[in-house]
Amino acid sequence: MSSPFQDMLASLMRLRGVAATMLVDEHEGMIIDSILQIGQDGSRVAALAASLHRKARLSSDAAGLGAVSFLQLEATGGRICAAGRDGMVLVVIAAPGANIGLVRVELLKAVRELP
Amino acid sequence: MSVRVVEPWIEAPLKRFVDDARVTIALLLLPSGQVLAEHGFTRSLDVAAACALAAAIHASGGELGRMLDGRPFSGLHHAGQDRQIFLGEARTPRGTYIFLTVFDQESSLGLVRLYFDEFVANLSAAAPASQAGSDAVLGENFERDLNRNLAALFGRA
Repeated sequence: MSSPFQDMLASLMRLRGVAATMLVDEHEGMIIDSILQIGQDGSRVAALAASLHRKARLSSDAAGLGAVSFLQLEATGGRICAAGRDGMVLVVIAAPGANIGLVRVELLKAVRELP
Repeated sequence: MSVRVVEPWIEAPLKRFVDDARVTIALLLLPSGQVLAEHGFTRSLDVAAACALAAAIHASGGELGRMLDGRPFSGLHHAGQDRQIFLGEARTPRGTYIFLTVFDQESSLGLVRLYFDEFVANLSAAAPASQAGSDAVLGENFERDLNRNLAALFGRA
């Protein structure tokens, strides 16, 4: 089933090293739309990434730093990048070799285009 | 993080769920409405009422699911203004249980569902050998068992 977010998610998927993209409701921690590969458990990542983004946003607020624009989590097997707006969080799962600068630019651009 | 349980094997999985999912209330009961474990309640009367309502909602949801989808609905979520409830069915080798949990802004439906799946797996792993009749809707000694379980949790019937 196609959704209004498929084109945006597909454009992020085309970036080198990107393994999955999803749009998540930050409040509910549920996937709004996603592009995943076989074997990926999107709902787990979505719930935890939304929680992480929400806590980062609250921490940033508490520290008087303003809105969180971009969140990156580095692990040995790759990265989770997230950016959000108005209760929605765009999450990208990328391999270690991904061009993270480009991912960041495209992710922020996509977030600005969210309705 | 205090949990009270009627049967000790439930304690560790429930404690872990409460810690991980950051819920304010958790209740595990038999489909008949008999409580097996709780977290977040202070009065036995509230537990008895919540169990009766959860069992009724589960039964209604199950029947509605059979009518609409040919099989019972096994989960329910209701979002209030500040707090939300999630009601799920926990199938284990020992029998089927109903799990009711209440959460606020500290958690989310996604997290609750995620940790609920883990809770069911942990509960199944911890469950002793099957107990015949645990799925019985209303046993002969239902009221006595109901009061016994409440007394076990709160120290009085």
